[in-house]
Amino acid sequence: MDLETALSRPVPLDRRKEILRGALLRRRAELRKSWKHFITAEGLESLGSLAPEVESFLSGQGSIHDWRPAATFTWINCDASFSDCLRSIALAGEVDYRPSDTSPARLSLVDLNKLSSIKRLNLLCARYRCPLNIAAASEFDVAEELLRQLMVPDRVKLEAGEEFDADIILLKLNLVGIRAMITRDLRYLDALNYFYELLHRSLAHVRTSPRYVALWLCIYAQLLSMPDW
Amino acid sequence: MRVAVLAGSIRAGMRIAGEIENLPGIDVFVIVCNVGMRSPLLRWSRELFSALKSFEKWTFAAKAYSYARQERLIILHWPLDDPASIELLRSLQCDVGLHAANVIYREGTISAFRLGILNAHIGILPKYRGRCVVEWSVLQGDPTGVTVFFIDSGIDTGERIVLQEFIPSNGWKRVGALKNMLFGCDARLYRKALEALMQPGVQYEGNDILKGRRYYVMSQMLINTVDKILRDRANLG
Repeated sequence: MDLETALSRPVPLDRRKEILRGALLRRRAELRKSWKHFITAEGLESLGSLAPEVESFLSGQGSIHDWRPAATFTWINCDASFSDCLRSIALAGEVDYRPSDTSPARLSLVDLNKLSSIKRLNLLCARYRCPLNIAAASEFDVAEELLRQLMVPDRVKLEAGEEFDADIILLKLNLVGIRAMITRDLRYLDALNYFYELLHRSLAHVRTSPRYVALWLCIYAQLLSMPDW
Repeated sequence: MRVAVLAGSIRAGMRIAGEIENLPGIDVFVIVCNVGMRSPLLRWSRELFSALKSFEKWTFAAKAYSYARQERLIILHWPLDDPASIELLRSLQCDVGLHAANVIYREGTISAFRLGILNAHIGILPKYRGRCVVEWSVLQGDPTGVTVFFIDSGIDTGERIVLQEFIPSNGWKRVGALKNMLFGCDARLYRKALEALMQPGVQYEGNDILKGRRYYVMSQMLINTVDKILRDRANLG
């Protein structure tokens, strides 16, 4: 059968999107209860003023913020720090950003992968000081590489029960989640689904990074609630 | 045309060889790779178990014996990309290799074949590269099927597509069963691809990777969703 025939066949009226939406909402309902497995009481306490916001966001309905307008610019700047920006995005708050006339030089993936875990983390935090920039058109290759790293070497390492650097994996999950929010690319959303399922088995490791875990789960909660996948 | 089936087991190799051996002008070899470099005991136990599972075990045994006697059944003891294996492949002077082993092919192995190694990928290229492409196609409402193309050392990035067949997912209730059916099309489609390659002036379709995406292993949540979509369609259909 050729493509033309395949596409012209009467496709049975399916409820694909409706079924997907139902599955995402069921996961969101599950997350309302399960998030406490990822963050211990001590971990939550260590978040300080962030703790009550995270708790109410994850346990309640939570809200969603449409960040897609930010992706219409080549690059955006904001005055807030990486940490504050990530917090605002994760909790569906406001980020005071402005379009930039210039964007940073292309990031070499070869150079990125040569760096140690800590240097890579610092570089990503500096480049994506406003994390919404991960969805910029110019960052396609970087985002694809982060997705590949998560879904191939990082996943294999976790599945084999090997040691892993929770901070860098969680940072990648946060960035990939933000790209999913803006591009509505299901592959990026599913990386979060996959790691949500996988990290249930490696909770001791991720509990050492309560801030990144909390923000990742808030981003995930927003993704699950988005109606237009 | 000299063709080598690169298989993970004797049974898998003989299945494909059986489909193509009667094509006029084709000489077939079966190369059995030691996937995962198993110990001889484990390897031969698996081969024996696999043979015993076969409904036509005596026909299979007779055929394997016949291939072995003609030195057309070759058991590799080293990894496929080991220089000794590559040297052996080169000595066979094959035109085409047929992928039927769960191995990654490096440049040296690919170039041991005059035209290259064909892969029957259970997805539509160039749109769906990588893993779980059947699941992703169903989830995104795209046609399913198989693409036979010459591999390169990337993930489904080989530039020459020999043929593509759209095989609808309608009627299937579980994606696992749908995938098994698509995997099972490999021998028939390799035969069609070889027939096409033997035609004068064969034309390839391009595999423009910019028109597609690489897909990865799917979460259990989305696999369940795909099964539900298939069941829903089957019930409506």
